[in-house]
Amino acid sequence: MRVILYFIAAIGLIWVGVLESASSSVEDFKRYSDAHVLDHGHGSIQRVLAVGLVGDLVVSKIISDGRDTVIIEGNEEFSLPIPVLSESAGISR
Amino acid sequence: MLGIDSFPRSIKQIQLLCLVPAAQKLALMFLLAAVTYGVTGIGAMLLMTLLANTHLGKDGAGKHGISIAESSRLGGVAIGIIVIVYIAGLSLMSPYTSGPERDVTFLYLWSAVLFCCLLGLAEDVKPDFLTPKLRLGAKFAVLGALFWLSPALIPLTVGVPAVDFLLNLPVLGWVLVTVFAVGFINALNMADGANGLVPGIALASFAVFFMEYGRPMDGALMFACSIFFIFNVISGWYFLGDTGSYGLGAILLGYGLLGVADGNFSAGFMAALFCYPCVDFMVSVIRRFRAGRSPFAADNGHLHNRLHQLIRLRVRSSVMANSFTGVIISVSTSGAVLLIYVVGLLPPDSDLWHIAFVVECSIYLASLKYLTSIQPKTQYADVG
Repeated sequence: MRVILYFIAAIGLIWVGVLESASSSVEDFKRYSDAHVLDHGHGSIQRVLAVGLVGDLVVSKIISDGRDTVIIEGNEEFSLPIPVLSESAGISR
Repeated sequence: MLGIDSFPRSIKQIQLLCLVPAAQKLALMFLLAAVTYGVTGIGAMLLMTLLANTHLGKDGAGKHGISIAESSRLGGVAIGIIVIVYIAGLSLMSPYTSGPERDVTFLYLWSAVLFCCLLGLAEDVKPDFLTPKLRLGAKFAVLGALFWLSPALIPLTVGVPAVDFLLNLPVLGWVLVTVFAVGFINALNMADGANGLVPGIALASFAVFFMEYGRPMDGALMFACSIFFIFNVISGWYFLGDTGSYGLGAILLGYGLLGVADGNFSAGFMAALFCYPCVDFMVSVIRRFRAGRSPFAADNGHLHNRLHQLIRLRVRSSVMANSFTGVIISVSTSGAVLLIYVVGLLPPDSDLWHIAFVVECSIYLASLKYLTSIQPKTQYADVG
């Protein structure tokens, strides 16, 4: 029984990295489409704690390359800014 | 609730625990995982530790390669779980669309990878569940189907005119690539005999693919292989198993062929990157033929066995001798290619990589010849 709990804890900890990568990616797209500002969030303490020193570089590369991919493939659906979210996130246009 | 008296006792218990070698190894592994991949790394390391301690897929002492300790064969399963969790999460919560959803070639490739993993898993969970002939036939069928359905994976030029001519012939090209693919996966499985050898080669390769393409899948595979590499090298409690060697072999094969077919990498680059498993496989098959034995029968005549014999005389710890062997080979072959790629000494699509491959082959043969000459002949490892 205890082993199952440990497994859940392990998956939960891995999920922290998933959340950090995903949220960084989504945030990056919002910022990019709203203001065309390139902000990697590179080296922030929160991200380094979540994904470590090497993981931080990996996430930054995934975000920058993912941004290029979406823009190259013309994924307007995601690139369109959402005004309510942009205002609440304090992002100026 | 803990009483005040229990605190010194607890500290003493922790101090005693710190003197246990297994606890020291665990502490070092978790520390390295935390520094490199943070909380996520700790989670992956915890998952690997738990899987290594399950009764499923246990290998007895001396049953795997040069290892003399009891170990688990579920390393490939652990890597698979980590990659699936990461990619599934990223697909659900970010704009990332995974390869199989985007492109039919990736769909076929990952279906073949999944089949190879399941084939290996059956062997890891229940050894000798499938006969070697059945496994070989299944690999031929799956990889043959993959290249038939995805001809884009077949490179039309590798920089050698005679081979290029054969590859351009429709059916012959397909047959050649299928035979090569089955041989490559078997070669990677055969080389998985020292701590950090195949994981090191896989780690260097995924690092190259990630730096070239930036695909999240490559990032997830690099992350999982890094954690496995740390675990495997420090503890020696884990092996990739057939799940890992077949699965990673199929992924590396697919990505490598696609990279060459797209013109992003030269065939020489891939040959240099995967030099050790391929050359060791070829040399082992020739060596066994000359000794009149089955070319696929296991023996101790590989370069890593010979090198391990040499290191074992100088290093007291059997795990460290095993790990030094694997790390020396993986770092001096695939690691060197990664370094040259990172520094930018040679572009990845340059045909000059063929020279690097020839140099690696020469070093392999010279090392094997030297080590064989200074070591006594064993029951199996006789070079003609």
